[in-house]
Amino acid sequence: MNERPTFSPFWHRVRLMKPRLRSHVQITRQRYRGRRWHVAHDPTSNQFYRLNPVAHDFVGMLDGTRDVETCWKISLQKFGDSAPTQNEVIQLMSQLYNSNLLSVDSSPETEQLLTRGRERVKRRIQQQAIGIMYFKIRLFNPDRVLTWLEPIFRPLLNVWGLAAWAVFLLFCMSRVLPHWGELASGLDSVIAPGNWGWLILVFVVTKAIHETGHGLICKRFGGQVPEFGAMLLVLFPSPYVDASSCWAFPSKWQRMAVGAGGMIFELFVACVAALVWINTAPGDLARQIAYNAMITASISTVLFNANPLMRFDGYYILADLLETPNLMQRSAQMLKYLLQRHVFRLERLQPPSSQRSEQAILVVYGVLSMAYRVFLFLSITLYVLGQFFIIGVILAVWTAAAWFLVPIGGLAHWLATSPALGEHRGRTIASTLGMIALAGALVGLVPLPDYRRGNGVIENPTRQGVFVGADGFIVEAPKRPGDRVAAGEIIARLESEELVARRRELRAVMDELRVNESQSRQEGEPAAAQIVANRIGAVADQLAEVDRRLEQLNVRSPIDGVVVGPDPSLRIGSYARRGERMCEVVNPADVRVAAVMSQSESAWLFELGPESHGVEMRLRSDAWTPVTGTKVWALPAGQTRLPHEGLGFHGGGDVEVDQRDPEGRRAKQARFVVYIEADFAALRVQNPEAVAPGERVRLRFSLPSKPILTQVIDRVQKVLQGKVNL
Amino acid sequence: MSQLVTRYNVLFESLKARRRRPELPKGLDRFAAAVSLRWRQRRVSDRFLRAQAEGIDALRGETAALTDAALSETLRSLRELFVRGRQDDEAVRRGLAATREVARRETGEEPFPVQLIGALALYHGRIVEMLTGEGKTLTGSIAAPLLAWRHRSLHVFTVNDYLARRDAESRESIYRRCGLTVGAIQQEQEPAARYEVYAKSIVYGTPKQITADWLRDQIRLGRLSTPWAGRRLLDESSGLGGPMIPGLRAALVDEADAVMIDEGVVPLIIARSRREDDMAETYRQAAALASKLEEAADYRIDHLRRRAELTRRGRERVAGLRAGLSEPIWRAARRAEELVRQALVARHCYLLGRQYQVVDGLVVIVDEYTGRFLADRSWEHGLHQAVEAKQGVDITADRETLARMSFQRFFRMYPVLSGMTGTIADAAVELRRVYNRPIAIIPTNRPVIREAWPTRVFRTAEGKWNAIAVSIGQLHAQLRPVLVGTRSIQASEQLSAMLAARGLPHRVLNANHDKEEAELIVSAGAPGVITVATNMAGRGTDIRLTQDARRAGGLHVLLTEVHGAKRIDRQFIGRSGRQGDPGSSQIFVSLEDELVRLHAPRLAALLSARTGADELSGRLLRLGVLLARHAQRRSEARDRWMRAEVLRQDDWTEKYLPGH
Repeated sequence: MNERPTFSPFWHRVRLMKPRLRSHVQITRQRYRGRRWHVAHDPTSNQFYRLNPVAHDFVGMLDGTRDVETCWKISLQKFGDSAPTQNEVIQLMSQLYNSNLLSVDSSPETEQLLTRGRERVKRRIQQQAIGIMYFKIRLFNPDRVLTWLEPIFRPLLNVWGLAAWAVFLLFCMSRVLPHWGELASGLDSVIAPGNWGWLILVFVVTKAIHETGHGLICKRFGGQVPEFGAMLLVLFPSPYVDASSCWAFPSKWQRMAVGAGGMIFELFVACVAALVWINTAPGDLARQIAYNAMITASISTVLFNANPLMRFDGYYILADLLETPNLMQRSAQMLKYLLQRHVFRLERLQPPSSQRSEQAILVVYGVLSMAYRVFLFLSITLYVLGQFFIIGVILAVWTAAAWFLVPIGGLAHWLATSPALGEHRGRTIASTLGMIALAGALVGLVPLPDYRRGNGVIENPTRQGVFVGADGFIVEAPKRPGDRVAAGEIIARLESEELVARRRELRAVMDELRVNESQSRQEGEPAAAQIVANRIGAVADQLAEVDRRLEQLNVRSPIDGVVVGPDPSLRIGSYARRGERMCEVVNPADVRVAAVMSQSESAWLFELGPESHGVEMRLRSDAWTPVTGTKVWALPAGQTRLPHEGLGFHGGGDVEVDQRDPEGRRAKQARFVVYIEADFAALRVQNPEAVAPGERVRLRFSLPSKPILTQVIDRVQKVLQGKVNL
Repeated sequence: MSQLVTRYNVLFESLKARRRRPELPKGLDRFAAAVSLRWRQRRVSDRFLRAQAEGIDALRGETAALTDAALSETLRSLRELFVRGRQDDEAVRRGLAATREVARRETGEEPFPVQLIGALALYHGRIVEMLTGEGKTLTGSIAAPLLAWRHRSLHVFTVNDYLARRDAESRESIYRRCGLTVGAIQQEQEPAARYEVYAKSIVYGTPKQITADWLRDQIRLGRLSTPWAGRRLLDESSGLGGPMIPGLRAALVDEADAVMIDEGVVPLIIARSRREDDMAETYRQAAALASKLEEAADYRIDHLRRRAELTRRGRERVAGLRAGLSEPIWRAARRAEELVRQALVARHCYLLGRQYQVVDGLVVIVDEYTGRFLADRSWEHGLHQAVEAKQGVDITADRETLARMSFQRFFRMYPVLSGMTGTIADAAVELRRVYNRPIAIIPTNRPVIREAWPTRVFRTAEGKWNAIAVSIGQLHAQLRPVLVGTRSIQASEQLSAMLAARGLPHRVLNANHDKEEAELIVSAGAPGVITVATNMAGRGTDIRLTQDARRAGGLHVLLTEVHGAKRIDRQFIGRSGRQGDPGSSQIFVSLEDELVRLHAPRLAALLSARTGADELSGRLLRLGVLLARHAQRRSEARDRWMRAEVLRQDDWTEKYLPGH
């Protein structure tokens, strides 16, 4: 129960004042959750203040001739118990006064005005320092540009325009959908370093259009846009405009339209870009730019701007949609209230909202945004840490301080000094310590599954080379890589004129010797016949040899399997020497996975016995079916040569390789090669195509369960080791 | 005409002084302020002070040899230097040597070298700790002329009017020799007399009086910002009007912990009676209504915060009862409940003889820290009227606040601020935080030989009071003078009755008998004299022992309860064993004492259940002592929060509310 004492000890400071709202302050009426509110807005300084009907009535009475006490008494008579108390009047006046919405008597308090100005600058600097991830730089006042643009766009900025936009959007989507595969496969090219210049350019342009969208719609409904600037979003420049004057719009749909304006414009850009992309030929620069524009304008819009968990457009739209102003701030207050009320068991607290439904919204939003904040912090930090180590460390420490240490410090300060705790301080500190201990136990003691991830490639341990048996020109190659062959089946056929000539020659010699032999027999010269017979034997041997070599011109598969390696048919007409490796035949049923790991990553592999860890694998092409590894072993010495080019940068893997190596298989740092055997039979039944050598595989090693703390320390050590070694 | 010029000058100074807005630095700024203070004070190290004091002591022979006329001449030339701001270390040394000599010649007391260190530290703007009975008054009186020379006017703060008058009178001859004038502000002085006193170069007074005058000046000045605009305030015929206080330049605070810290719990308020609406009947109705409610079933009292809370049933009953009342104020539920809660608080938390006393049919507040009446003060927002309604006396008009200022803020307005105290202890941190003043601890001149007898802890209050009476009887039989400290007027009267029943001759010193204060204190050091006193005797009183009393073992201080802060206990005990005199002290505690009940009720109940005997002994005694200390600590902490709150609110209003 809240007592709301009627009197305030500071009443004497205000009671005889005759304040009034500054003449340029505009008040608009808004409805929030079925209740009437009045928003006082100073267009020159863009300051807002929300008044409830009773406060509005009170402020309305302040006309510069009546003093505060008189107005308060009238208010008491009018509203009885719901009239503002003295304290509330003082609060109201001080907030209005400090927002420069209220002028007090005639002489200005120059000194206080100056102090307030300085405070505001100081606060601004502090906010900037805390929000280093969103650093704002003011550039110019875009009002003139927008005033010029607005009449041009005015015919479009209405419900019909929105409907037309939606139709256009649907049309474009229907056109793009058939090209989905192509669209998705191009994604890699967007983040390729060669594209970065275009990407940044396109990003800045589309975001500028986005901001123009906000500005135009804000102007359309009578608002003002006094500021245009650049915001360094995690050090990445992004334009912004200050369209906050829309908060004074009476209709929530208008406010939401301003919030959504940026995305509407940006998605329009994405659609146009999509049409360009479809209608240009591959390799065209226009196509590349269009593709970039399409991706940034759609993905970034959906991921960032529409996301209501961060203070971007989606947040303001959601807040207006739910009619819960100051959603983020009040949800934090709500969580704090719940903590104080139920964990610390403090009484006499006022929740930030008295409506049950709104409380529920605040709680849900508060929890989600907090979780998201932690997630965002971790992912951004880890990403930046991976890219620019030093900057990453600074950024992480700074943000951790701003997002976590400052609130924690605030909590500690509150615990130590808040008069609200009074004699419950001991208990409150105890329950806080209890919670910390509980969280510590969860993090530090409770074992949780420990997973390590990696990339691998399917390879065949047994591959049989197919060698040319005799020198010759390749004339025919019936089998191409990927074709199944039976053992002894011909993969390629060679021809050798030399052998054919030799055979012809030997045959002629043979015929001649045969003739000689029969002559000698008839002439009764057995000895001479014997000699000739011997020579016939020798020539026959030579002939047999030539025949064998002729047969060897047929290159046959040594085993049942699949042809891999260079395509023999490409060499038709060329000369091959004996012993040359033509291609390979592998047994597709007999495959294993090869992966590489850095020294720090694979340390556990040598420490843990094979029985204490397992591995689960998912194929890139079929991520839905996990395959369990049956045996994992590693080569005990590091090597720089990768077992497969698919593991290196060039093959789409994550290992940095030496640029000079044409094969792309020489890693910059020595790695341990790890082999995993698995039974792919089940998978092969479902998806015979997938289990092919060269297919990339995601690996997830499951190590013995460990507390999160140990896991995190392990990983941080890993990152640090990797970097310090550099 | 010249008076008018003076007034105009005062107006100018006053306006200049009020433009200072002593904001309290926060966070890192506070740290920076502390560092910068330390840097500015780096020259004045403890070693520097000692060396300087030796230098002064070395000048002794030389100054002692001067004739009176030559001494006056020296003083005049020194004064010249200080007024012009040309004083260097050498001048300060010679100045203190001269004032020391003046003190010796005029009062016969010669400051010891440690007192010279104290005087130097005061001159350099420090808060000085000197043990009780080490002659703070003397130390202050040789530093004061230098400060007054240098800063043209000096305000010396004391804890009560009696001390202000006593010190001003006893030091006047010293100051006069130094070419300075002195006066004391007393509560009963008329404005005309005050104008005169404030014109003196050294003004003695209590913070309440001087702050109130300052605030009245502020009200008078209103929103003026230039002297020209304020000229209309001055009355040309009488030469009066306009502000009284010619600016705030330098302050020397005696009993700094009491003045600057303890009193900071309640800000000073200037109020006047409100005539418009007569609510006397309403308060009586509220009191009647409150008396119909039952504790526990209808309401709960939070004695610690002095707050009442109505239960659901209580609210229903109030709703039923107020339906029969015709005044419009009873129609609104919230306001009605507020009045009832206030009546309940008046009933349960404000007790006759503790928080207030009825004098000539008026409710008069008793100051918790000094045990004195606070005439002209009343509780705010109808609480005073609620107490009057409960007490059945005439209900005075509601008062409205005209101005309000915390003492913390007031003292910060002095650019030069130094102080002395006997007991800085835990106050040091707060002094540093609120006033950003460095502290100097001065060694004792003579070792303290006072004995501290072990604390006795009793289960019941009754047992304690009996034991106290027995103990007093024994000491009386040994012919030792006894000073008995009680926390409230009520307790002192109760003990007085007990002693009378036992036939022990004694005197009572509390707010009811403040006229006899001086006389009671003069004779309190005679053999076998029993003085039962409230906190009135706790500060600044110098009880001189007679030869016989010293031989009997000196003054024994008996505390009948622990006070809300350890410092107050120590101050009280410090009345004995002054300047190497023999003496002893003992504290009596019961588990039913107010402090224990408020701050450690559960622990006290536990301890109480563990014993059948009336007096705790052995391990339980140790626990009992710990418990009392624990309750005291909690009370200290609570007061600290309250002071912080006063300060915070004060700063908030200055910063965020328009106007002064």
